[in-house]
Amino acid sequence: MGKKAARNFFIWGTVICTALFIWLTIDTHTTIPKRTHTDQLTDEVVLGKRVWHKHNCNDCHTILGIGGYYSPDVTKAYSTRGETWLKTFLKNPESPDPQRRKMPNLNLSEDEIKKLIVYFKWVDAIDTNQWPPKPVGEANPREGALKGKPQTLLGKNVYNQYRCDLCHKIGGEGGPVGPDLTHIGSNKESPWLAKQIRDPKSHNPNTQMPPFPQISEGEIQALVDYLVTLK
Amino acid sequence: MAYESQKVAIKYFVISAIFFGLQVIVGLLLVSKYIWPDPLIGILPFNTARAIHTNLLVVWMIFGFMGGTYYIVPEESGTELFSEKLANLQFWLLLLGGLVGVVGFLFGWTAGRPLLELPVELKWAIVIVALIFILNVFLTMIRTKKWTAIQGMLLGGIVMLAVMWLFGIPFFKNLTLDYYYWWWVIHLWVEGAWELIAASLMAFVMLKITNVDRQVIEKWLYVEVALVLITGIIGTGHHYYWIGTPNYWLWWGGIFSALEPLPILFMVFDTLNHVRHRKIEVTNRLALYWAVGCAIFHFIGAGVWGFAHTLPVVNRWTHGTQVTASHGHMAFFGAYAMMILTVIYYALPKLKGLAQFNQKRGFWVFWITTVSMAIMGLAFGVAGVIQSYMWRGLGMDFLAVQGFMRPWFMIVLLGGIGLFIGVIIYIVDVLSLATKRS
Repeated sequence: MGKKAARNFFIWGTVICTALFIWLTIDTHTTIPKRTHTDQLTDEVVLGKRVWHKHNCNDCHTILGIGGYYSPDVTKAYSTRGETWLKTFLKNPESPDPQRRKMPNLNLSEDEIKKLIVYFKWVDAIDTNQWPPKPVGEANPREGALKGKPQTLLGKNVYNQYRCDLCHKIGGEGGPVGPDLTHIGSNKESPWLAKQIRDPKSHNPNTQMPPFPQISEGEIQALVDYLVTLK
Repeated sequence: MAYESQKVAIKYFVISAIFFGLQVIVGLLLVSKYIWPDPLIGILPFNTARAIHTNLLVVWMIFGFMGGTYYIVPEESGTELFSEKLANLQFWLLLLGGLVGVVGFLFGWTAGRPLLELPVELKWAIVIVALIFILNVFLTMIRTKKWTAIQGMLLGGIVMLAVMWLFGIPFFKNLTLDYYYWWWVIHLWVEGAWELIAASLMAFVMLKITNVDRQVIEKWLYVEVALVLITGIIGTGHHYYWIGTPNYWLWWGGIFSALEPLPILFMVFDTLNHVRHRKIEVTNRLALYWAVGCAIFHFIGAGVWGFAHTLPVVNRWTHGTQVTASHGHMAFFGAYAMMILTVIYYALPKLKGLAQFNQKRGFWVFWITTVSMAIMGLAFGVAGVIQSYMWRGLGMDFLAVQGFMRPWFMIVLLGGIGLFIGVIIYIVDVLSLATKRS
């Protein structure tokens, strides 16, 4: 191949691929209204996005898998955590556990929190081609690296992971939304507690406690085993 | 060095080196935050530090590209620069813009979009700097008697760089479209515009140190860049799998991006081939090491690591994990950091009129930084695989999984400290070369 042929290859290859890419872009635009339900992209949602930008949330958290890998992905935050949990969390995300990775308290106003949650709700419903994927297995906290640890410690871990402390108090530490759990072991039995966590509305249909769709049976068991020791 | 005005490149090279050092320091802070519960959270929380880390990267690389361009263009065009004054003015404006940006981040002045955190006012200021730069380069090039492929490709690269930047300026209401055009900056820079600039700068250095026939070098430059753009433009689609865009991108993106390692592999053979057929004895062995090392590390970091998680079946699990951080670090280092160091180690002694210079320190920099980056990249990669498996595969809690990744972040820190030492030696080397009396 001579230099001239190489140059033609360069020019035509680039032109054709650019044209193809622009065509795909135009076609993509026609699918956006349906895939991202732009009819629900209200001014409030856009204001929520502005709050998201203002605090540079995206450099710690990923959204649609893009951004900082330091903190949990928020694409499905709305459906996995629920409104009540998010509201409580965003008001003060700081955890009492000193070993835990910290999110600073951003001192968001009630209004900012509301808009942010509306934004998360809109993002949650974007058609992402089934991403994030459903887990293929289930981590059994009794196996592997966690082996040998007492069940109550595991349960305490689960308690921390799901940030139950945002609403509940144990020994004076935690939030005021839900009942104090300091002596929960003297009041409630294991099956009652398991049922409450699995489906919070089962005992009191008006409860503010959100369901935790991601929690596994193993985790519920560990959590309940921990809670009943609190007497 | 053939023209006096090439000397404007020196100050670009010096700032490029110093900002590289600053970037690595902030990187060390970032990885510490993964290991211990957030040191310095009150002053430099993770998001601010990450914004500074990535923007410093872009700025020091742009300084490197611009310095390299100002060195090469007069020599390729056979004329002095159109305006040394503009080149100097543009240097100070860019430096000011970079510093204001970094200080602004500390005070929360941000557009809040990853990698494009610079507030909109500064983004427009950067456009002005870019226009001055392009104008200066273009007006120098048109004085040339014979247009060369290297010139054309370089000009094409910097124009594309500036045009793509414009897509990063507006505020998008729709997150999907936001990220759709966000990638026009990020991806079409690193797998488009920057590759054009890198390939032409590298072609120039190879031409000079091996004295291989220009016709041969330029022919392969065309082929290489053609392959980069043919695979890379539609390869943008590998970022459109999960962001709300149609699922045909899984095919377009998957197939084209799977071909993206080809031009890089081609470049490795190309570089080695030129070295084998060199017509003169290479006196600057250091520049040669950087050039060959660059080709190989570019292939591993961008080609192999990129390919490893570009197919949708893999990417579904690794998207948004440390696997991307592993690829990002290795690819940027191999493709661009090493390329800029090649250019600087070639051009700086020339600019000072040194026929010989002490290359020992430069070889230390070469081995320390490449080995450190390989360690970092591998450790990030293991952390990423653990994360993909436990968080995505088993559905465990995000933060619980971070505990299992912690030992690997300690290794990242170790590699980072190594890199830091290497970069300190590099800065000392650049400063001592730049201040040497010729």
